[in-house]
Amino acid sequence: MSELLVKNAYVIDPVNGINGEVMDIAIRDQWIVEEVGSGAMVIDAKGQLTLPGGIDSHTHICGTKVNFGRYMSPEDMRAGRMPRRGSMHATSGYSVPTTYGNTYRYSTMGYTTLLEGAMAPLEARHTHEEFTHTPLQDTMANTLFDGNWAIMEAVRDGDMRRVAAITAWTLSAVKGFAIKLTNPGGTEAWGWGEDVTCIHDQIPHFEVTPAEIITAMITANEMLNLPHSVHLHCNNLGKPGNYTCTLDTFDLARDLNKNRQTLYATHVQFHSYGGSSWKDICSKSEEITRSLNSKPHIVFDMGQVLFGRTTTMTADGPMEFNLYRLHHNKWSNHDVELETGAGIIPVLYRRSNLVNSIMWAIGLELALLTDDPWQCCLSTDSPNGAPFVRYPEIIAMLMSRRYREEEMSSVHPGTEHRVPLPAIDRELDWEEIAIMTRAAQAKALGLIDIGKGHLAPGAEADIAIYPIQIRDVDPSVDYMKVKEAFATTAYTIKRGRVVARQGDCVVDGINSTIWVDPQVPPEYDISNDPEFVKKFDRYYTVRMRNYPVQDVYLERQVCLRPEVSL
Amino acid sequence: MKFDDVLCPFCGCLCDDITVTAEGGRVTGVDNTCLLGTSKFLGDNRLKNPIMRTDDGWKDVTYDEAIASTLDALLEADRPLLYGWSGTHGEAQCIGVHMAELLGAVIDNTSSVCHGPSILAIQEVGHPGCTLGQVKNRADVIIYWGCNPTEAHPRHMSRYTTYADGYFLDNAFRDRTVIVVDVRRTETAELADVFVEIKPGGDYAVLSALRAMVRGRDEMIPDSIAGVSKEQLRHIVEICKNAKFCAVFFGVGLTMTRGKYKNVRNAIELVDELSRHTKATITPMRGHFNVYGSNEVNTWMSGYPYAIDFCRGIAFYNPGETTAVDILARKECDAALIVASDPAAHLPSKCIRHLANIPVVQIDPYPNMTTAFCNLQIPVAVSGIDAEGTAYRMDGVPIRLRKVLETEYPTDTMLLGRIYEAMMEVRGR
Amino acid sequence: MMRVLLEVKPRKKPLLPIEAECITPASFLEERDLTVWKGNRELMLSNVFNVSVTGEVDSVDGVEVVLRGETSRIKRVGEYMEGGRIIIEDDIGMHCGNFMSGGRIEVHGNAAAWLGREMRGGEIICHGDAGDYCASGYRGEKRGMRGGRVEVCGNAGDFAGEHLSGGSLIIHGDAGDFPGVEMRGGEIMIFGDCTRACGNMTGGRCHVFGTVHEMLPTFRNMGEVVHEDTGQVLTAFRGDVANRGKGNLFVGNYQYME
Repeated sequence: MSELLVKNAYVIDPVNGINGEVMDIAIRDQWIVEEVGSGAMVIDAKGQLTLPGGIDSHTHICGTKVNFGRYMSPEDMRAGRMPRRGSMHATSGYSVPTTYGNTYRYSTMGYTTLLEGAMAPLEARHTHEEFTHTPLQDTMANTLFDGNWAIMEAVRDGDMRRVAAITAWTLSAVKGFAIKLTNPGGTEAWGWGEDVTCIHDQIPHFEVTPAEIITAMITANEMLNLPHSVHLHCNNLGKPGNYTCTLDTFDLARDLNKNRQTLYATHVQFHSYGGSSWKDICSKSEEITRSLNSKPHIVFDMGQVLFGRTTTMTADGPMEFNLYRLHHNKWSNHDVELETGAGIIPVLYRRSNLVNSIMWAIGLELALLTDDPWQCCLSTDSPNGAPFVRYPEIIAMLMSRRYREEEMSSVHPGTEHRVPLPAIDRELDWEEIAIMTRAAQAKALGLIDIGKGHLAPGAEADIAIYPIQIRDVDPSVDYMKVKEAFATTAYTIKRGRVVARQGDCVVDGINSTIWVDPQVPPEYDISNDPEFVKKFDRYYTVRMRNYPVQDVYLERQVCLRPEVSL
Repeated sequence: MKFDDVLCPFCGCLCDDITVTAEGGRVTGVDNTCLLGTSKFLGDNRLKNPIMRTDDGWKDVTYDEAIASTLDALLEADRPLLYGWSGTHGEAQCIGVHMAELLGAVIDNTSSVCHGPSILAIQEVGHPGCTLGQVKNRADVIIYWGCNPTEAHPRHMSRYTTYADGYFLDNAFRDRTVIVVDVRRTETAELADVFVEIKPGGDYAVLSALRAMVRGRDEMIPDSIAGVSKEQLRHIVEICKNAKFCAVFFGVGLTMTRGKYKNVRNAIELVDELSRHTKATITPMRGHFNVYGSNEVNTWMSGYPYAIDFCRGIAFYNPGETTAVDILARKECDAALIVASDPAAHLPSKCIRHLANIPVVQIDPYPNMTTAFCNLQIPVAVSGIDAEGTAYRMDGVPIRLRKVLETEYPTDTMLLGRIYEAMMEVRGR
Repeated sequence: MMRVLLEVKPRKKPLLPIEAECITPASFLEERDLTVWKGNRELMLSNVFNVSVTGEVDSVDGVEVVLRGETSRIKRVGEYMEGGRIIIEDDIGMHCGNFMSGGRIEVHGNAAAWLGREMRGGEIICHGDAGDYCASGYRGEKRGMRGGRVEVCGNAGDFAGEHLSGGSLIIHGDAGDFPGVEMRGGEIMIFGDCTRACGNMTGGRCHVFGTVHEMLPTFRNMGEVVHEDTGQVLTAFRGDVANRGKGNLFVGNYQYME
């Protein structure tokens, strides 16, 4: 048994309604408790801002496509190199750091839980292998179902129970956490070099539409009673005028769950464009947030873009090809049989570029125009909009109009006529930032019950102490201090242990992977379904026996076993 | 005991449908394997215990002694080289990277002498690829360029391409057009619908011409390029542009001939160009069953797929400088650890000569050509026969190697883990 | 004027490379400990060289560093150099003048590979031969050398000026395979022969006054021109058509592969 007492912590804990109280936090082993003995180790937080450990609900850190981003980019790798030091391994990379680079940088920023945004089931083992080498955070994987043949066939046949059964078996086999749809239907069409433009296009050969897939998966998700909702990357990403597609997609979601949202829309910035071409592209953040404000059953993340060099990576293969045709830099693509796709290209977002400047503004607008911060998760879709190490800049901009104006003055001069940002006065407060960087994520992912995202007794002792006395700081003026404070914690505590201190990671750590195993009754076990098995054997290139991810890949794990209603 | 759906630890096809029968601590029968796989499973003649070179031959040593001696050799060195890695599982490869980091060593795998150039090309232009099932289910045009699967990847055509059942093809064999491009009429060429014979060294020029022709710049292409007629090139362009799904595979005939990575780059850019007209993909025919896994592991651990120099603490990567073949040829390293490969069988003689002059420890189940050049050999379990672990197929799909025999031998992971632990004792953390 | 003489001491393992990016004129302006790396061991500069400094200056432009002795395995000399002079009396190891932006490096012997990699400015003169990747870039990076001037009096190896995007590379002897491959800007002059010049070029200018063997078929013949400075008649090509390139290649003679 180990005991730790964090004294004089200035706590903001939105889940428990605590907004700026100086208090002590008692920790026994990995849990927060009511009190500890006098022998407990003491950390004096000295009134510094203390939050639950950060949670990233959409980031790309591990797996086939992330690693391919590294593989193809030695020029990015040489940008972030550190030697082995103390308990820290060597790291490389800026926009796509090595697994140790990710884990150390997230940890020193106070992040303790990460959701990998996209895992192809066939290649799940790879994601889990990298999770093992991401030791300072708990991890989960969104599992891709956007082009799943068996599911599209079941959707076409209108068999929702079968959709749910396939989903359950797959999630459980690959030790995934949630349903991810990336350009649903589009990734299958891309198997022929084609794409879908929006939710009502027919997918070649399968005779279903993206709308049907989305609706079916939302239904299946609720039948399986999964902790998270469907996690959706809408069709038609990154194209001028795509906001109407996004609005239509939002209209598909009805409020089906009293504990959380029914739909999580990711990187909405990339889906909020007006105009009909790159020449007249403009922000439609007002229309998008108007829809979101009227739909509390949708939660989203920003997908903020920041200027500079980064790498874009997504399962949305056709989108990356279009981007490649614009940028003419290198392009990788990796379609995955019977399931999904992937594309990767490096990009440079420039201030001097009008489109890039508009993108930058839209992300901020989405956060500032959404009334309820519980609906908006802070993200860059790292590394797509920018590497996650730049989150502190976003926080500072959301808290300071002055900072935004300063930035605005150096972007493309045409921007202000195309975006509402200059007219937005709102400055987010500390509690709203705490919500948008951990509490909203915990709620959206359904992790509060297992002790994530809050600091009440019973919670897991994942805590971030930032070196800032917020009572002495006016964030709208001292935004640089805000930025600095969120960049490096005084202490990051993970599972009751100090894992990072002032920028240094001090323990090896062991990651814990959270996954779901829906308790499907035997008659719905799809692995006994002759038709499913026959097609699997015939069209996959891996035998069904060799497909599931073995337990040995999860050194530590938290398996959630929802009771299903089929 | 009979085991179904076992993985074959031979080539990059990583077939996972093998049936293995094992009795009395030996594999007694295999089904579904090719000849190469069969010989691997039935292979015998393992080294019984660690052996150390003495002035007049070899002496048996214990594992403890072997580990101590490995430590001495590696810790003393100013520029140790850790080479091989393609024939073991990922978990062992991970320890290798940690070890390189701790020692300040260079770690490299056999990509150095096979598909390293493919990696360099991908780093310049990316890689439009896919898993092999995409090809199996969709491709109506298959191109094998500078590779001879019939001999080197014998089940490639039946599992993934020409003869494989495909969802979108009524009759896989009849509905697919197979083009083979090579400098000689190989066995694979005999199976092709179209065979293109190129003069040695002419791949780059032919690929450039094809790119220009796909772009409609037909008129400027001369009548014949590197022995290939313009008419035949035009025919190929037509086939590719009219394909629904065109899958290109290439081998060392492209990567290890003059121009090396520029050949591969040109092939990739041809596929990029074709992607504007139809679906097109390209896949390197990786050799060892887990050479790609070694590239993957190195990449997430260090940032680079191969040829990583940790001598300054940070990872430095520069093939041509930090590749094993170059380091050995320039006599730059002063000790070497060889794991799961046989450099004496595939590196140039200049490199092997240097190996003979420095302390070399080899970790390998079998006596091989490198045995003659090493000072110490430590036998281990064979990955995929008596050791489990992860392997990555040539298309990046990771599958877990099965274990069909119980064994007394330590696995690579166990042995390397012990060596690494012992190193940390000495060097501190 | 300050003169720094660095004389290599006898070494026990002379083939082990030494990384010595500290050897730039600016390093000797201030009093500080300079270290180099032999494999994984960090050594004082004075462990490897006899160091003698004469004279005093207050600007880097007045510093001249002379390397004497067996320097063919000393790497990264002159990396990030901004001014002053380095004179290497014999051969020099890889990556001499990496990222150099000013000043002058003179190599009296041969230079190993990656001479002037990603150079931005300044001047390198190599009196002997240069290895592969002379005046080139780094793996995966789109732009190689961006500015400055590299002159090789002997021959250059393969891939000279790969990814060149600015500056000029002059090779008085032959260049190997693929000079100017992927070049997008800048200028290359080759007075001898080479093979497969300028594969996949998208911009810039390259003159080969000798013969290009295995001339690539995807360059458009624009007819003959007279070179102003030499009066030599050259054939002008534009390409590489394989990639929409708009580079200019001028050659004395050429032979296609056939």
